Amino acid sequence: MQDGDGQILEGHSISAGLDYPGVGPEHAWLKDIGRVTYVPATDTEALDALRICTQLEGIIPALESSHALAYVMKLAPTLPKDNLLVVNISGRGDKDLATVAKHLGMKI
Amino acid sequence: MMTQPTRIDARFAALKTEKRPALITFVTAGDPDIETSKAILAGLANAGADVIELGMPFSDPMADGPAIQASSQRALKAGQTMVKTLQMVRDFRAKDDATPIVLMGYYNPIYVYGNERFIADAKAAGVDGLIVVDVPPEADEELCLPALQAGLNFIRLATPTTDKHRLPAVLQNTSGFVYYVSITGITGAAAPVVNDVQKQVAAIKSATPLPVVVGFGVRSGDQARTLGQTADGVVVGSAIVSRIEKSLGAKGEATPRTTEDVLELVKELSSAIRGG
Repeated sequence: MQDGDGQILEGHSISAGLDYPGVGPEHAWLKDIGRVTYVPATDTEALDALRICTQLEGIIPALESSHALAYVMKLAPTLPKDNLLVVNISGRGDKDLATVAKHLGMKI
Repeated sequence: MMTQPTRIDARFAALKTEKRPALITFVTAGDPDIETSKAILAGLANAGADVIELGMPFSDPMADGPAIQASSQRALKAGQTMVKTLQMVRDFRAKDDATPIVLMGYYNPIYVYGNERFIADAKAAGVDGLIVVDVPPEADEELCLPALQAGLNFIRLATPTTDKHRLPAVLQNTSGFVYYVSITGITGAAAPVVNDVQKQVAAIKSATPLPVVVGFGVRSGDQARTLGQTADGVVVGSAIVSRIEKSLGAKGEATPRTTEDVLELVKELSSAIRGG
């Protein structure tokens, strides 16, 4: 993300690992050749996914991975029930608990 | 690559006959606002700057310490752009055809401006050399070689971690002078150790006929004088832009003192480096 003079603009994401104004060259390439489809998730969708995964599975996903889970929650209902879906939980969410608590209005 | 001598070459040749090191001053174009910045630029040579390094402000200046980062931010906030920076050089050049100007900055604003267009416009404006810290020798074809072809110097940085295996790559297409970064880390972070600098400058000088200048931690006249005895020039940047910052009013605006204070510091540095 940059302005017309090549000055880098501030990004925003609730997850520190995604709060970055650029895209790596490998991702850009995978998108360009059509091998990967990239979809967005909002802060709220990611928080919801984190909470639901934690409550139902006992697994606290990282806020970064929660973005992927948010899309699973959108995609899965559109697929046949016996379809297999693989999601990579790339990080653990215990590092994010302070951020999550703040956004859910909790004190820990 | 053979190129016509630039103002930089002429200036270092002249200083060699005078037997004194160059004082190279760094300011960011447009800091703290364009009018004040123009006034500072116009006064630098008279105050004693032998070569002027003019920073092209960038949002993410990864080689720079807090003082120059803040300076870049002030300039951008005041609306500085590449077009305005080149216009500043053009205006300066209309009145001073001798003092070399080196544009210093980062690749992205140049890349977005367009490399060919940038080189052509910089040359036409009266720029003499470029320092672009985030384009390594491995990418010389992109910017360095076209700049040399257009008659600009391309000045590269050597650091305390540039070893004898790396130095030839750094020197290969460097022209004008070699900038020895006297500390590991960012601009203005620490004071250089004179003995180490002496050794490294000697090693670089044995590998190139180019002048070698020292910068990245020079804050005072005393330091400038000491380092000036070991090198062909001394760069002062953070100390000068810190002086700008100190002179600003409560809302970060320039005051009547701003230009005066900066030029006063440059006079002190100049007199120190001349052994005064």
